[in-house]
Amino acid sequence: MVDNATLIRSARFRQEREADWLRLEGLVMKAEKSGAQTLQFDEARDLASLYRQATTSLAIAREISLDKALLAYLEALAARAYLSVYAPQERLGGVFGRFFATSAPQAMRRSALYIALGFLCMGLGALVGYLLYMESADWYYVFMPPGLADGRGPEASTASLLAVIYDTDPQAAGLGAFATFLFSHNTRIAIFVFGLGVFACLPAILLTFYNGLIFGSFYALHVDRGIGWDLGGWLSVHGVTELSAICIACGGGLQLGAAVLFPGQYSRKEALRLAGKDAVKLALVAALMLLVAALLEGFARQLVQDRTTRYVIGWGVGLLWLAWFTLGGRRKT
Amino acid sequence: MTRAQKRAARAQSAAQIIPPEGVPLTLPIAGVGVRIAAQFTDIFITGAFALSILILLGMLGLTGVSALGGLAALLFFVIRIPYYVLSELAWNGQTIGKRMLKIKVVSHTGGPLTTHALVLRNIMKEAEVFLPGTLVLTLDQNTQIASWISFLWIMMALAIPFLNPHRMRLGDMLAGTHVVHLPQPILLADLARAKPDPAVSDQKGFVFLSHQLDHYGRFELQTLESFLRAQQQPGNSASHKQRRETLAAIVERIRKKIGFAQAVPPADHLAFLQAFYNAQRGHLEQRQLFGDRRHDKHYSTKDTPGE
Repeated sequence: MVDNATLIRSARFRQEREADWLRLEGLVMKAEKSGAQTLQFDEARDLASLYRQATTSLAIAREISLDKALLAYLEALAARAYLSVYAPQERLGGVFGRFFATSAPQAMRRSALYIALGFLCMGLGALVGYLLYMESADWYYVFMPPGLADGRGPEASTASLLAVIYDTDPQAAGLGAFATFLFSHNTRIAIFVFGLGVFACLPAILLTFYNGLIFGSFYALHVDRGIGWDLGGWLSVHGVTELSAICIACGGGLQLGAAVLFPGQYSRKEALRLAGKDAVKLALVAALMLLVAALLEGFARQLVQDRTTRYVIGWGVGLLWLAWFTLGGRRKT
Repeated sequence: MTRAQKRAARAQSAAQIIPPEGVPLTLPIAGVGVRIAAQFTDIFITGAFALSILILLGMLGLTGVSALGGLAALLFFVIRIPYYVLSELAWNGQTIGKRMLKIKVVSHTGGPLTTHALVLRNIMKEAEVFLPGTLVLTLDQNTQIASWISFLWIMMALAIPFLNPHRMRLGDMLAGTHVVHLPQPILLADLARAKPDPAVSDQKGFVFLSHQLDHYGRFELQTLESFLRAQQQPGNSASHKQRRETLAAIVERIRKKIGFAQAVPPADHLAFLQAFYNAQRGHLEQRQLFGDRRHDKHYSTKDTPGE
């Protein structure tokens, strides 16, 4: 072994610190392999302080050393240590708890204006659809896609319309129905409404409005036959939740679109990133609501045949959502 | 600067991340190919999981044949999204596929990965690839326009990573993340501390004068380092002969360049290079401490020696 005095400066630099680097390497490998929570107290403490030492060593080595292998090693070691020191330190339970308890309702309240716009689009669409149908029943064929109507149109008899509303066919309930309903028309609309919002709001508004048109003319058809209340009950069970979900998704989309249109003092990319924080939570809430709606549609609607009970279930669930959005995550003062 | 050099410089600056400590770290950007491979592994895993649940449901008689297609799509969907988000949360930006291929999601700005960023980039993955992908796969005579639109959308989403140096897809841009290769720390022995060969250890050491060390720069030194490290690898007899010839050529070249008058016998060739490496490295490192960085042997002809 060469004695210390004859070593060149960078070799001495390495000799003094090598043991620490190797210990850091061992700690990093352990943390990566079995998770940082398995580290002992002193190991976790050393991981943090050794990481900082290693970054300092790297900065010095870049200045004083020409040893390519040493530089490559330190680069890799510091990078690996950085990744395990700055890992997300959250428990999964905490993530879920925070989302439901505070961040989701707060995001809903922050974007109340956009959500109200979403409801406005849908409401206006429904109103226009209703009035147009009352003027001429032919409008129904213009709005309603044939796949969705499923034979229910102005030419169908009142009895057949009622038969759909009070359907007791047991085949239509259960898991299969749940899956079908989830991937039905409305979920696709919600996804597109949210995603298309980025393109300057317009597609989201149009799509929500169009969805309102369909709903309005469909409702007018039943009112025309004098069974509006029955349809109301049939729709309320899941519709309160499902249509609200579409409006909320529309609100999220509008928020993204507004960031693109009016970025304010930020660049568009930055504004989009900031708007995304709340918009994503809105999308998650909408997804959750669609899931609940599909559950209600797949099970509750077929099991409950009484009109009043249907109203109670539908609007009761709606009230629960509203309570969550308005009361959740308020800080006690 | 040539085009290739420009591209290399851009890739190098893209690979730098500045952590809160302020020392730039190099994390090489993962290419599109390796990410697609990881993606296929993950799709395979989640698909297999959904399939096994589906078979279980079928055996318990909970589902009819007619609802099978819808249920399969639902299961795949419901398993896939939490799988990506939760595994990236639990394993610090790695899914099982990413772990197998040794790549990782990192925050673009150097901070820790947030839950929000991971949720966002994985939800955007649905909007970018999976949903339009499903539309294309269920090609239908009636919905041709929708299929073409979603096909074009997927093409656009897949083209975006090629257009920026960080290989970010749309979701990465929104979430402020990109994907890197995990660097492997391998500590090689320090050449400057290598033991002298016992066979020649009784020889007197080679002495280099200061002006003899002024001929080379960092590039030549590090090339010599790579060569000396390669000499330490064991080789067969055929390559052994070739090695000796290369060694002799290099020694001759250096001796001529620096004006080293003393003859070096073939047995001492390696020891000579070792000694020269030590001396040259010590010299260059000392010059560097004085602010005289020498990138290569042309350092003196350049206008700005400090560059």
